[in-house]
Amino acid sequence: MNSRSRNMWAYFMVAPTLIGTLVFWSWPAFYSIYLGFLKSENFGLVNHWVGFDNYQKLFKDEEFWQNLKNTLKYMVLFVPSTIVLSTFFAVLLNAKIKGQSAYRVIFFLPQVTMPAAAAMVWVVLFAQDYGLLNHVLGTRVSWLSDPRFAMYSVVLVGVWAAIGFNMLLILAGLQGIPKTLYEAAEIDGAVRFNKFRYITLPLLTPTLFFTTVVLMIGASQIFDSIYLLIGKTNVALPSVRSLVYAYYQNSFVYYDQNYGAVIVNILLFINLILTGLQFLFQKKWVVYD
Amino acid sequence: MNGSETLSNKKTNIVIHAVLIATSVVMIVPFIWMLLTSVKTPMEATQIPVKIFPDVLRWGSYTEAFVQSSFKYYYFNTAFSALMKTVFPIIFSSMAAFAFARIRFPGRGICFFVIISVMMVPNPVFYTPQYLMMSKLGLVNTVTALWIAALISPFATFLLRQFFLGISKELEEAAILDGCNPFQIYWHIMLPLVKSALVAVVIIQMLWAWNELQWPLIINSSPEKLTLSAGLATLVSKFATNYPVLMAGAFMAVIPMILLFFVFQKRFIEGVAFSAHKG
Repeated sequence: MNSRSRNMWAYFMVAPTLIGTLVFWSWPAFYSIYLGFLKSENFGLVNHWVGFDNYQKLFKDEEFWQNLKNTLKYMVLFVPSTIVLSTFFAVLLNAKIKGQSAYRVIFFLPQVTMPAAAAMVWVVLFAQDYGLLNHVLGTRVSWLSDPRFAMYSVVLVGVWAAIGFNMLLILAGLQGIPKTLYEAAEIDGAVRFNKFRYITLPLLTPTLFFTTVVLMIGASQIFDSIYLLIGKTNVALPSVRSLVYAYYQNSFVYYDQNYGAVIVNILLFINLILTGLQFLFQKKWVVYD
Repeated sequence: MNGSETLSNKKTNIVIHAVLIATSVVMIVPFIWMLLTSVKTPMEATQIPVKIFPDVLRWGSYTEAFVQSSFKYYYFNTAFSALMKTVFPIIFSSMAAFAFARIRFPGRGICFFVIISVMMVPNPVFYTPQYLMMSKLGLVNTVTALWIAALISPFATFLLRQFFLGISKELEEAAILDGCNPFQIYWHIMLPLVKSALVAVVIIQMLWAWNELQWPLIINSSPEKLTLSAGLATLVSKFATNYPVLMAGAFMAVIPMILLFFVFQKRFIEGVAFSAHKG
């Protein structure tokens, strides 16, 4: 077959994905940046170029800084707790115990559960007067509407949902560590913790790093659980409202597309930095087989 | 190994099991509570102190949730868009991935870059422009709007390419000598070899499609056009604190995926873990 017809086949096979990506994803990404420089009137019928006005307004908006802080706080609380707990359970499951597959299934269950449905049951569990959580703990905390606790409750639900999946990733990383290393350490009389500290942890670093970045990217886009756990009339909303929630509110509740666009463009900026970091460090740490 | 060591191993095993069982209980409690609450009366669900088991199992909340909230539409719309968002990306992505991995053609690098570069962009960035596009096409508040932008998947393309790259050249060369064109090589030789990766992609696409909330919430508003996720969100505003009805709705929404998960648990777990590893 000549190279001309081979190339035609290649373009034919790539075309649907390439055209679909350009139309439905690439163009919208650039258009979102463009929208940030416009001021729309009459439901988008009239657009004025306003330069950086929307960004100036955004940076003067205290609510935006609070939302950014909330998003970062969520990331800082959610990512390390998920990583630590997932690693902990992965190490336990890696110890060749009975019933490993049953535990894996149970831990994975929240991952296949629709976040909307999960949030609804957590609302019932968190209820102040008749919630199971307060009943078990003997407390009367309003987990979801007290600004002091709301963020932690959202994080708890996030961690609950994320452990199973991340545990599996880390477990796969653990199973890639050669057994001979541990055997050598045992001959040298290393104790359990030292084996973890000096063999497992260093060799697991690439997996942990990859997992951390993926979790951070996901956490920076948190929306579902805030929308459903906290809700628009909740007094604790200002203390948990994320960037994406604010984007949704501004764009589709207040119908200010331009202001919504600048919020989400900031998020894009944060995500590009995270991806850049991943790319940079991946080259250093990850060994491809 | 001496006697005292096996004894201490046994002890640590017991501790490990205790920790794992306790955590398993925490993981499952929400599901049990969902089910228990759905068969209580509204009174029992909000009783103080907490009443764990209802006096009688009352299934009426299921009919109530189903009848009063267009559940049949939610099911259909969710299942139909999940189907579209799985079948088409599988076909298109595997074709593109094959071409990127196995054919050298002018512009290959730039085309691939264009496709994977959108993976760095958070989904909400796309929503307003996509909304404006749907509105131009007259697709706002239609079932089509739920899936039309997701007929292709950059992620699946990226993932499958990794797998096509790993296949040895010999099979392909033999096929070329036999006069196969690239599409025949893709279809008859390569696709069967990446079956496990295809299964992983099917599972991931299906899970995403089934559980997605924000886009359906933005693009559609009438009850007949909503998906399960977005439908549940409206159920909350309708039934406020009628927890049995809400939990019945939630249970009906999660049960298809959970059943699928139990039937294909190994494939689910391996598929998801393995794709994230290559990705």
